[in-house]
Amino acid sequence: MTLDTTISSSGIGRLFRGQTAIDFYGKRRVGLYTAIVVLVVTIISLFAQGLNLGLDFEGGDAWDIPASETFGVDEAAEVLSANGVSTAGARIQLRSSENADVVTVQVEVLPREQAAQITVDFAEAAGVSTEDISFSFTSSTWGREITEKAVRALVIFLAIVMVFISLRFEWRMAISAIAAMVNDVVAAVGVYSVFQFEVTPATVIAFLTILGYSLYDTIVVFDRVKENEGKYAGKRMPYEDIVNISMNQVMMRSLITSFSSIIPVVSLLILGSGIMGAVALREFALALLIGMISGVYSSIFIATPLLAFLKRDTGRKTYRERLLGDELRGEVMGAGVTGRGLGDGKLVTTVDPDGERDEDRELVESSVAQPADRLLTHPPRPRKKKRR
Amino acid sequence: MRRRLWTSLIGVVLIVIATLAYNVATDNTPILGLDLQGGVSVILAPVEPATAEDLVVIRDLSRDELERRGIAEPDVRVQGDTIVVDLPGVRDQEDALSAVDVSGVVELRPVVNFSDCPAPEANAPGLGLGDDSGDLAPATSVEPQGFGRPATPADTVPGDAVPDATAPDGTVPGDSVPPVVVDEPVPTPITATGNELLPTRDGSVLCVGPAQGTGEVFERGSAQATLDQGWGVAVDLRGDGQATWNNLANQCYNTTPTCPSTQPGLRGQLAIVLDDVIQSAPQVNQPNFTDSVAITGSFTESEARSLAAVLNRGAFPVAVEAQEARTVSASAGSDSLQAAIVAGLVGMALVVVFLIAYYRWLALVILGGLMVWAGMVFTMASFVSGWTNYALSLAGVTGIIVAIGVTVDSYVVFFERIKDELRNGRTIKNAAPRSFKMTWRTIWSADVVSLIGAFILFWLSVGSVRGFALYLGLTTICDLLVCYFFTRPAVLLLAQTKLMARQDKVLGMNVATT
Repeated sequence: MTLDTTISSSGIGRLFRGQTAIDFYGKRRVGLYTAIVVLVVTIISLFAQGLNLGLDFEGGDAWDIPASETFGVDEAAEVLSANGVSTAGARIQLRSSENADVVTVQVEVLPREQAAQITVDFAEAAGVSTEDISFSFTSSTWGREITEKAVRALVIFLAIVMVFISLRFEWRMAISAIAAMVNDVVAAVGVYSVFQFEVTPATVIAFLTILGYSLYDTIVVFDRVKENEGKYAGKRMPYEDIVNISMNQVMMRSLITSFSSIIPVVSLLILGSGIMGAVALREFALALLIGMISGVYSSIFIATPLLAFLKRDTGRKTYRERLLGDELRGEVMGAGVTGRGLGDGKLVTTVDPDGERDEDRELVESSVAQPADRLLTHPPRPRKKKRR
Repeated sequence: MRRRLWTSLIGVVLIVIATLAYNVATDNTPILGLDLQGGVSVILAPVEPATAEDLVVIRDLSRDELERRGIAEPDVRVQGDTIVVDLPGVRDQEDALSAVDVSGVVELRPVVNFSDCPAPEANAPGLGLGDDSGDLAPATSVEPQGFGRPATPADTVPGDAVPDATAPDGTVPGDSVPPVVVDEPVPTPITATGNELLPTRDGSVLCVGPAQGTGEVFERGSAQATLDQGWGVAVDLRGDGQATWNNLANQCYNTTPTCPSTQPGLRGQLAIVLDDVIQSAPQVNQPNFTDSVAITGSFTESEARSLAAVLNRGAFPVAVEAQEARTVSASAGSDSLQAAIVAGLVGMALVVVFLIAYYRWLALVILGGLMVWAGMVFTMASFVSGWTNYALSLAGVTGIIVAIGVTVDSYVVFFERIKDELRNGRTIKNAAPRSFKMTWRTIWSADVVSLIGAFILFWLSVGSVRGFALYLGLTTICDLLVCYFFTRPAVLLLAQTKLMARQDKVLGMNVATT
């Protein structure tokens, strides 16, 4: 058995073969700057215009309109649209009892004149007089208590997760993972604030989903870092190198996973809310989309560089520059295997021109050490004597 | 080894198919949330004029009470001067009315002698007042050990405050006491003095004087069950409620005629009454209380918790009564669920197509795994929502769609690892078990974080956040189960086949083989 160590000439080819050698650590400032920009924009927006809290948080106006065969939920929605009120944030329900059916319409608080006008329009559409329509203020359903309990639960959760990651990995990874998660949630909240999308309880759930997804993604990446750390334990490999190697190794996984996570959400966004017209899905899916993209981005560009930064002074002093280019590539390719690392970081590589397997592959291979030799850098362990 | 793998693979598939078939056969589907399916709406109106703040307090208390009774994610709001309670997963209007029956104010009434109560009417056998119950009830409801116990300071009693009251009520009733059906309206004879015979929770009867205070003397939400040499309840007094409480406590401690000693050697008892049922009738052991009250005695844990809940709930400022129940349509529009499901399925199909293009034959494992996973999630969701009344809302459905991504990730991590190993010259037969070992570690660590989040959010939060936590936990558990019991045997068995030796077809990668 031989190995195809030909390095693909195209970036995509290298990506598919796990031959990338991207200096993620060298680009750490990119992650830092974007994180700062996201944070600043979000904070400014939150202070300047805050969040557009929906009906469930702030309460609103409510109408009870007698329902009839000619007046139902759809007709009520039309009246709202005709008055320029978004139906996305409205809640229109049919409530039926033995005595009477009513359509209950709840929207965010409107100016008094507009509300009065809508009452008249409802009466007209339903064919009743305005006295038959009850108009009242409706309170929030999401009390402060729910928020307080959720925040308390979240704080405890994060504390326990910090402890868990510290025990399972180490505390620097815990800090990095939480930092990346905060960045993702801030990004999602920021988008909601900047574009003044309406925040509903579903949005809060979306933020929580993002939070969980971000932590999940970061931990998968850190697990590989931790594994490589052990692999290079005896080699005084600088931490930046370990991070770079690990990132290159998990990059394909990150891309495929994100792609397969994002496809269903995009499908919700385009098919569910766009084509099929379920507006309730739209902003929810949007929050998830932003959070997921941010989640993948942050685990690569924020969590790991931050980790390397935190680890830079921890006994792995080295006097050489970090590995770049082909040296890095060699480690990336060699260390993927369980058991042992490649060691010297040098790999004789040849680039094939078109990224395909060539006729002259034999030639290429002859210039490359055999894989077994490459991997087994120490003499094989003597065979154990069998017990009698 | 092979046999074990086959057992695991076939076993998990059979179990999922069987439970799924059971669910389909019994028409057991997850309860859908208010936004997807609607439910029943009940209008609660205060019996006397209430301020806006009172209504908001009632809203919060009602929601707590509903959640405590296991009705998940009720949508409670103040509309005009009424309170509208929307309940998901309830189809019957009568059920809804009784579920929302959280009206009632906790009253504090001193226990008086039976001779001060009018004789029970002849047609009230349900009250348990046989000819002998007149002297039986107090004798059995006062537990000697509750009386003779050393004082046990509860956690919330500050400084030198001594434990104050014993609860003789929280004990096993004597055998001879006939049970009382407490939830049926019992004709309660009332004398001119306001004395009344009321049943206790364990089935005996006490004669109580007129109410001299309400649950409003207690700090809202401060009551909690405490464990200190036995279960008890600690509750804080409100600043303005302290005088009322101490006035009552004084009467009972000094056994004044309004709160006499009903048994020799005992101080007066103070009954805590909710909806004409005596929740507890502790003996008052000190005349003055500062800031907090501890009720101790031989409670079981659940008794202590339910008394604490009653005290918390008793802080209803105004009694409310359910007026009318209406069925309510889905708020998110009837097409939302359909759109979410269609979009989810299309998304899932696209993911599978993409993964097949990338992993070729190995992606069949993903396809099978996703189907097993989906069946498992559906089954578990059906059972769990049946048990706990947690409805699947639109947020839950989309959460599950997001979970597809996390589930696919376990495969991707696994397969990418196999590819790494192959590139470094291992055979697939060798690479698969090694890869799984490393992958399992990764998946396990990442999923445990999700599980921690799910447990804590479920435990500590309320409302829709709790529903989210439930479904997060469910999908994560299913992911772990499928990964270990389906993916592992499937891939390990595949790796031993001849098909897998042709890696370019199977994994879609350019690894030259000899």
